[in-house]
Amino acid sequence: MSLYSHNLYGQPSYGGPSYRASPPTSNGYYYAQPPPQSPAPPVYEVDATSFRRDFSTRLAELTFNSRPIIQQLSMFAQDYSRYADIVGQCVQAHIRRVPPWMKLPAFYLLDAISKNVFEPYARQFASFVVPLYLETYHLVDDSTRGKMEEMLLTWRTGSPSGKELFGVQQQLAIERGVWGGGAAGSSSAVNFHSGSGSITKAQVLSELLYTLGQKERAVQANPYDTLSQNHIAVLQQLRMHVEAGVSQEELRQILNQLRNLVKSTVPPPILQPPAPSAPAWQSQSPFPPQISQIPQVAPQSYIQPVKIEEPPLASLSAISQPVQPTSVTAPPGNIANLLSTLLKAGVLSANGTPTGAGATVKEQDAPVELQKPEATNELIREYRDKILSENVNLYSLDSTRPSLIVDLLYNQQGLQCKQCGIRFPDTKLGKRRQDDHLDMHFRQNRKASDDVGRGHSRSWFTSVEDWIQDISGDRKGKGRSDGSGPLNAKAAAAAETAKREEDLRSQYVIVPPGEEAHIMSCPICKETLKSEFLEEDEEWVWKNATKKDDKIYHATCYAEAIVSTSSLAARLRSEKAHGSRSATPEVHPMTILSVRAMTPLATVRVSGSKSPSQSPLSDTKVATGTKRKVEHFDSNVAEEASGTPPLKKMALTSVSS
Amino acid sequence: MSEQKAAEPKRWELGPESEYRFEVDPGVSLAIKLVQGHAEIFGFELAEGKVYLFGFECKAALYTWKGCVIEISEPSTEYISDETPMRTYANLHIALEQMRVRALRQIRGSPVPSHDTSKSDPPRVLVLGPEHSGKTTVCKILTNYAVRSGQGWSPFLVNVDPSEGGWAAPGAISVAPVYGPIPTASPANPLGTAATTAPVSLSSNALLPLAYWYGHSETKKNPLLMDRMIRNLGENVNDRFELDPEGRASGLIVDTPSSFATGPAANNHRHKLIKACIDAFKISMIVVVGHEKLNVEVQRTYGSLLSVVKIPKSGGVVEVDYSYRERVRNYEMHTYMYGQVIHPPAGITNATLGGENLTDLVLSPSSTVINFGDLHIYRVGSDAMAPSDALPVGAARTVSEMQPVLVDPASPGSGLLNAVLALLAPPNHDENERYDEEVLDLTVVGFLVITNIDIPKRKMTVLAPNRGSFIGRTAVIGSYEWQDQ
Repeated sequence: MSLYSHNLYGQPSYGGPSYRASPPTSNGYYYAQPPPQSPAPPVYEVDATSFRRDFSTRLAELTFNSRPIIQQLSMFAQDYSRYADIVGQCVQAHIRRVPPWMKLPAFYLLDAISKNVFEPYARQFASFVVPLYLETYHLVDDSTRGKMEEMLLTWRTGSPSGKELFGVQQQLAIERGVWGGGAAGSSSAVNFHSGSGSITKAQVLSELLYTLGQKERAVQANPYDTLSQNHIAVLQQLRMHVEAGVSQEELRQILNQLRNLVKSTVPPPILQPPAPSAPAWQSQSPFPPQISQIPQVAPQSYIQPVKIEEPPLASLSAISQPVQPTSVTAPPGNIANLLSTLLKAGVLSANGTPTGAGATVKEQDAPVELQKPEATNELIREYRDKILSENVNLYSLDSTRPSLIVDLLYNQQGLQCKQCGIRFPDTKLGKRRQDDHLDMHFRQNRKASDDVGRGHSRSWFTSVEDWIQDISGDRKGKGRSDGSGPLNAKAAAAAETAKREEDLRSQYVIVPPGEEAHIMSCPICKETLKSEFLEEDEEWVWKNATKKDDKIYHATCYAEAIVSTSSLAARLRSEKAHGSRSATPEVHPMTILSVRAMTPLATVRVSGSKSPSQSPLSDTKVATGTKRKVEHFDSNVAEEASGTPPLKKMALTSVSS
Repeated sequence: MSEQKAAEPKRWELGPESEYRFEVDPGVSLAIKLVQGHAEIFGFELAEGKVYLFGFECKAALYTWKGCVIEISEPSTEYISDETPMRTYANLHIALEQMRVRALRQIRGSPVPSHDTSKSDPPRVLVLGPEHSGKTTVCKILTNYAVRSGQGWSPFLVNVDPSEGGWAAPGAISVAPVYGPIPTASPANPLGTAATTAPVSLSSNALLPLAYWYGHSETKKNPLLMDRMIRNLGENVNDRFELDPEGRASGLIVDTPSSFATGPAANNHRHKLIKACIDAFKISMIVVVGHEKLNVEVQRTYGSLLSVVKIPKSGGVVEVDYSYRERVRNYEMHTYMYGQVIHPPAGITNATLGGENLTDLVLSPSSTVINFGDLHIYRVGSDAMAPSDALPVGAARTVSEMQPVLVDPASPGSGLLNAVLALLAPPNHDENERYDEEVLDLTVVGFLVITNIDIPKRKMTVLAPNRGSFIGRTAVIGSYEWQDQ
């Protein structure tokens, strides 16, 4: 997880050192004004006191279960991870202070922050989550308890590595508090207390219901998911057995099976296998749907449990009537059968999950997409009627009422992004768009913190062919008033590149024993390789590294070097082919590259290190490649080399002339 | 900087339908925070509680429909006015929206009520007006209102004012579809920003423009070339519309240079250029900003073919002088290469510039030394003529206005040093399709500046926006020069 804290959130959030005038005293502080009337996103705050004030002001808004508020608060928390302790204190104080019916949303916030930002929040919250949870649990009503239990179950696999969100101890302590002394540990702690303690029927039932709910949602989303349908049938039978009463041993077996099943179906850890990457919903996932899907899947799974939990009960009673006779009398052996069925199913799904889960997630959206054109058409018609009902005379434009424009631009679009002020209609569709929009901000921020130190540059403009064809096919359908731009081929290409880069970055090389302290630098960029401890494998590794010919390179640098050499080789070949035409402007393979240069990875960079295939290059060719580092100026082609950061330019010109 | 003391913030309360107008002095910046209510800057809505920065001698106005409270960091030139033409502009917007929904209805083949007999052309608006009438601002407001309607419109914003340059460098004319509201923060990018590799949250800070290089600030310098560029631009826009019928409904808005509106009576290239725009972009409405005579003139010429609308100019328009324009040109080039670096006023730490984090707006161009032969540099038209005493006795000039002439960097009078060059897209892949004047019809992919020429070694240093290679490519020189201070 240290990668995570490092790259993502460990950076001081945006602001940049150059102008972070940081007066610790608040007397001269520009905006140390009376607190804003309505809680505004106080991004300009830097000192702890005002951060505390603003965070708690905004937290006070969280009086009902509102996804936007929770999301904005967690974004806020993400930006200010250095104040994790304050966030912790505020959330804790808030939960303790508010009346019972307002506690659950605050827990959802705690849940969201720890799952999405994780580091350092999960650690921070772990210190108080146990008493806070149990205290709350005993204060709230039954339905809320159910939701809290459901949330608790998600914590078992809530950490980015699929382990307990707040740690084994905490998880156990809470579970024990909720289901009594016998709480069996979660998956990784099974050995921990497999011998001791008893499992209560309540606990098993609660977990059973949770699993059942999950499965039912999967089926709802994807009616053809026969696997989940089977699971549901088995689970419902199991539930009847448990309700009828079974022995401790069986309870334990059931519980273990259940957990395996849950483990294999919890989407985030599976979609993001061990590589310590961000939680799925804000990671740069391989394919776009995920990015927008996951956030909805995860929180919704407990945000609207009411609606979903009713049907199982109803349907169960209906189903159980005819089945009852057999199942009540079912001998223990029957349970074993059931269990093995379950196991089979569980195992099956464990193997097939990556694809299975992915499909489920993708299909989740299908119904919404289907009904969308309908809804949009409706909206378009409504808007048209409204607009056309106005009588505008082009020759006396100043005569009509101004209230209409206010209506159109402000009132009709009740939802507003607090980050950038863009508005969305206060409808279901508008909410969806706002959610997408907020996700976009998340990705943006993440990318920004990823990119710190990389340096940016102006891209070339697109070629005329690309420009003409740069059409987002469903412009009207999606209504991109969120300003997120078209989902065109370029965006897809960018996503592709981002994915490739992500893949590269996740590569690692295990540090040979005894060399942990050795500082290794990449032969291409000369920067040191970052080493870190991989918890799953219990090994020290070099991140973003690849080993080629006994040399360790940055995986990203190596990939770029390969790309540039191969394209240079291609260019050489093509030049050989029409070698005589040197005076006329040439068609160049670079064309393609220049278009793709919009994305950082594709920027052609000839590395300083000469790989063999580069050697036939003429001097000029090498000279054209720009280089990243000044240090190896003298190493080759000293005179022509360039591409230095602007600041270094002076030094460079004095060197080369 | 000596003024490290945090300035006392100043609070302003604005009544409904009034605007706060401000001018930022050279070298300083201004921070505005919306404390309460709704406010917009040229149609770009501000988020409550966010701090917005303005710099590079930005002259702008914050308007509110319903009243608001704002906080200003360091007051410069500022005042509040409640006389604005915003009602008119808003009504014009509604008129354009009517055209859009009608156009979309027709494109989608929805039934048309029998009483609705209006035409269903999408709004393709040409904005004309004299100097200092706020044409660009009108274009921006209309565009921003369109994208804020929540209907998914993405109007195309066209800039045919070469002295402004739009998203490209000054000297270019360009077009870009706009998906999100355009912020205003500095005069260096009045219409939003072209894409960079930095992640940005507003799509208007990552526009994908299509640009042609005219190369001069005055349209009269080479009207023939200008005419051709405009038609090229229009052709591509129409090609795109053909592939995307629904996108067409959003229409387009064309910002023009003031030379289209006024000029000596004798110069008829003005009319030719207006005509070129009308043809190229299939204009369906001409909006004349604050000029009675021009309105009548245009009405007479085109009134029978398309609608001509007159709107008042805003009293807030600042009359700027030549040296200001000169400075803005420098800011524009600097912004193109290095991004926007505005130092916030003392005491402000986490402000945003046009909705983006400041750090993401800093760009690193790349400086490369290349051989003379690595880049083919052309000059279009008469500027390229050899000195007359170099001509053989009795020989006539043979270079026409439209002829691209290869520039030899080795010749002392090449004029390449510090020149802004437009790097062109590669020519047609098929050699048989090539033609002499192809250089005129290629789009711009970026801009280069020659920062040093070493004639003995036959090498030159080129500043490019990124590290992409441009060896073997073609570039065109104009009359712009820029030196990085």
